[in-house]
Amino acid sequence: MTKAKKSLVCWALLSPFLLVVLFPYATMLSTSLKQKDEIFTFNRTWLPRELYLGNFAELLFEKGFGRALANSLAISIGATVLSLAVAIPAAYALTRMRVPAKGALTNYLLITQMISPIVLIVGLFRMFAYFGLVNSLLSVIIAHSAFFMAFAVWMLQSYFATIPKDLEEAAWIDGAGRFSAFVRVFLPLCLPGIVVTAIFTFVNSWNEYAMSLTLLRQVSQQTAPVQIAFLTGTLYQIEWHLIMAATLLASVPVAIVFASIQRYLIGGMALGGVK
Amino acid sequence: MPGIEKTAPRRAASAGRSSKLGLPGPAFALILIAPCLLLSVAVIGYPIFDVIRMSLFDVSRTGVVREFAGLANFAKAFADPVFLQAARQTVIWTVCVVGGTLLVSVPIALILNEDFYGRTIARTIVLLPWAISLAMTAVVWRYVVNGDFGTLNMTLAALGLPFENYPWLADARMAFLIEILIGILVSVPFTVTILLGGLTSIPESLYEASAIDGAASTKSFYYITLPLLWPFMQIALVLNVIYVFNSFPIIWIMTNGGPANRTDILITYVYKQAFAFGKLGNAAAGSMVMFAILLVFALVYLFLTKSQGARNDD
Repeated sequence: MTKAKKSLVCWALLSPFLLVVLFPYATMLSTSLKQKDEIFTFNRTWLPRELYLGNFAELLFEKGFGRALANSLAISIGATVLSLAVAIPAAYALTRMRVPAKGALTNYLLITQMISPIVLIVGLFRMFAYFGLVNSLLSVIIAHSAFFMAFAVWMLQSYFATIPKDLEEAAWIDGAGRFSAFVRVFLPLCLPGIVVTAIFTFVNSWNEYAMSLTLLRQVSQQTAPVQIAFLTGTLYQIEWHLIMAATLLASVPVAIVFASIQRYLIGGMALGGVK
Repeated sequence: MPGIEKTAPRRAASAGRSSKLGLPGPAFALILIAPCLLLSVAVIGYPIFDVIRMSLFDVSRTGVVREFAGLANFAKAFADPVFLQAARQTVIWTVCVVGGTLLVSVPIALILNEDFYGRTIARTIVLLPWAISLAMTAVVWRYVVNGDFGTLNMTLAALGLPFENYPWLADARMAFLIEILIGILVSVPFTVTILLGGLTSIPESLYEASAIDGAASTKSFYYITLPLLWPFMQIALVLNVIYVFNSFPIIWIMTNGGPANRTDILITYVYKQAFAFGKLGNAAAGSMVMFAILLVFALVYLFLTKSQGARNDD
């Protein structure tokens, strides 16, 4: 079979699934460009009457969705920085040093990664309430970091293990201290791995729903996914044109960033052998 | 030669420095790990302790822990028909979503592992659902299947099919089925990623060798691809069971467990008990049941990866 023929077969076989994946995007795009009367009518079509951008303006300037995006951004950046700050030293120690009880430690981290925060949500809520942190973005930053950090450690470990030890040792011999060798030699070499891990953590935090829903009880603090879900809960006619505009705004940038690291994710999974 | 003279004393000096600091290897390693461990124990460990305590004590609506109650909370949960119903539905949900995910993912991974035009684009589209918040996916699908205004009925009607105003989410069975299909859709990207990782790790030389030996491609599929992919499928299976068992946003946002609790699973049951009805003891008991089940799956996963790791390291 020629490659062209094979390509045709592959695309044909994949097309039902691809259609289902893309259907919601088409829905978002089409609906967000429509005006209200085009949605609540009998003769609905995929194509909007015109390229109407008013929904985005209404969303950002009247409904305060910009605030939700800002909250999400603050939480995701905070959670990414905090998780990497604790995960990088831990992953370095686990790949480069003799760690007592290493097996127990990695197993513990693995298990924490599997516990869903929602199973513990009652306990989490009570703990943050005790410290007066409910309704503070800080609580969600801390909670996200704790739950996403284990995966970051695991991903970083698999990247760190690919960096030859000789390079650092050469730097030590040249008189660099362990720390400066780490910063000047080791970190730049692992930068791609660190960036992929950071993006992955950011996306996880950006998309998280249950903890943000539970720990932030005020509308002004809602994150983007929580606010979008909240908007569907109105008693009156649900304003789908605005909601679809909101999902588009909150998901497309993240999807593009995520797509850019897709190659590294598959590589990372192969590297780590899913350990 | 001056190079050697120069490095030798420095090496000695740096060795001296680290011992002067009093940081021998293992202790220093623990210091590096400490922040990570502290964060995890405080934010995950303490709530585990608190939920265990609440499940064994009588807890007031406002969360005051009163006297020891033994297993009364568990007895109450198991006597609640909604809890039992949610437990049954959790099994259906988990089995259907995970089974469906693997059935869809294996062929997709095999296709994406082939060399064809536009493969990168196809991979990107397949992985796309992973990038989007489950909550937002659920919201969009809730609109897609909306009976009166949704794009699904619009499209079906345009194709001449009789689904003009069909309310997909009004009937519990149909609603649960749709939620299961969406659950499969969002689990496929992660599963395909694991399987692709496995497929790329199979050395090309194996196929070449079997081709030289005259094996047909279906034969090399059964004797090379499947056995070597099997460990990755096991891991994908266990991880998916864990994630799907825990999955909250799809059901919560699309049907909130309704109509009449017929789409509730344990996690939505627990959440309602805690944050809608204020029955914290009940919620904690439900959480503990889930936690115990999760722990079993986590141990299975550890066992699987350990036995594989041992094989790989040989």
